[in-house]
Amino acid sequence: MFDFIRDPSLYNLVRGPLVWIAFLVFIGGSTYRIYSLINLAKKEKVILPFISLKATLRSLLHWVIPFASRNWRRRPIFTIMTFLFHISLVAIPIFLLSHNTLWYESWGISWWTLSEGLADFMTIIVILSCVFFLLRRIVAPEVKFVTFTSDYLLLTITALPFITGFLAYHELLLPYKIMLIIHMLAGETMLIAIPFTRLGHMFYFFLTRSFMGSQFALWHTKDW
Amino acid sequence: MADKVEAVKEKEKVVSREFKEYIRDLNPDIGLDETIKRLTPEKIEKTIKAVLGGRSARIKAVLETCIHCGLCSEACQWYLSNDKDPTYAPVAKMRMTIWEMLKRDGKVDAEFIKQCARIVFTECNICHRCSMYCPYGLDVTFIIGMVRRICFLLGVVPQRMMDQDQAHIATLNQVWMSQNDWLDTMQWLEEETRLEYKDLRIPIDKEGAEVMWFPLGAEPKTGVHHIVRTAIIMNAAGINWTVPGKDVWDSSNMPMFIRDFFTMQRIVRGLFENAARLRIKKLILTE
Repeated sequence: MFDFIRDPSLYNLVRGPLVWIAFLVFIGGSTYRIYSLINLAKKEKVILPFISLKATLRSLLHWVIPFASRNWRRRPIFTIMTFLFHISLVAIPIFLLSHNTLWYESWGISWWTLSEGLADFMTIIVILSCVFFLLRRIVAPEVKFVTFTSDYLLLTITALPFITGFLAYHELLLPYKIMLIIHMLAGETMLIAIPFTRLGHMFYFFLTRSFMGSQFALWHTKDW
Repeated sequence: MADKVEAVKEKEKVVSREFKEYIRDLNPDIGLDETIKRLTPEKIEKTIKAVLGGRSARIKAVLETCIHCGLCSEACQWYLSNDKDPTYAPVAKMRMTIWEMLKRDGKVDAEFIKQCARIVFTECNICHRCSMYCPYGLDVTFIIGMVRRICFLLGVVPQRMMDQDQAHIATLNQVWMSQNDWLDTMQWLEEETRLEYKDLRIPIDKEGAEVMWFPLGAEPKTGVHHIVRTAIIMNAAGINWTVPGKDVWDSSNMPMFIRDFFTMQRIVRGLFENAARLRIKKLILTE
């Protein structure tokens, strides 16, 4: 009954048109959201005149370095987990050998890749971080109070590509081709979800950080 | 003796209908309890839509970037001093006010507005510490301010805060002081202080002075020693200063705290107009 999964046309669909759609929605949608937020900010007269490029860069640098800001220092475990998580989250899809092979197959381009051992290690880090975030949501009272179904869903959407990717590469649980298709669908789901959900914090971070960094500069107060 | 202590501790509690973890002491305040009786669901919905409907950039940025991580909690002194009660966390305050309003598309009742007013007026003082701890630097206080605006437009404000706003509306200062009393105070303070500091002057409406100093409302009314000390310092430092001779002289802006934008503007404009009128170079405010 499930022979359709072995049908090469399903693989071709997921490997071809769906990839196009995923990337177009991801890039197009994200661009649209950034553009529309900046446009909206222009209407509020008290935002753009006070944005300072110098303050923006300082604030971004301050918060992108682990243990630089006060709140990072106050929560060392969270800081370590979230930095390892985000670095691995971004690095793996871009620098994985398997992904690189696909880019070469399609466009003839290739670049530097991670070693397989390192990629495995980083994938485990992503998965363990997701478990950590999940536990926080269940256990910590101040997080539990503001956790909803959408939060669990976002965590699942983020963890799935990494779990399925790991399982596919090591050929565990399900036959390779099947796990591979699930992995690709999971990755495409995540890409499409980014512009439409709070996963958009990945680009909104730069805008909100710019605003608050400029505010701190205006008040002559330090960026905590 | 032990029984009396127990009786005091057993104050009546208020538990939120929507958020069962929100438990507080019952604190009667006619500014909240009586004013909600005038509200209708239509009025509430209309006001909420008018204030939030535009979904301005700042509102959108906060609502759509907040990842519900709870890192803002430990910034908030209300959270920390209430044994880390999660309902005091900044993000929790947002959940119990604006998130709920938007989820129900503005269709909330008077009891809910009273609860919102209690949260945003008495459980947050807009200090911005949460923005300093948030990894995205989200402006939570802006959201609190928007909810304050909604409550103000509906007339649901703690009585003392509304009374102070009324003082500003009627007299352009916080303490119901007339212009005559203001001038009188400046003059008798100067007279009395000159007994000890012979050359001390408190210039009033001095044109072309470099600095115009504005006290807080309470200072000429109940805290004149602050004015005396400022005058002594200004004179000893040889600063070319003056105080205004007419409204607005009170730099406190209580209307701002309850988001009465119209009166807030009157105060700020009054301060600048006094300085502009006398070609002053610097404005110095007590607060």
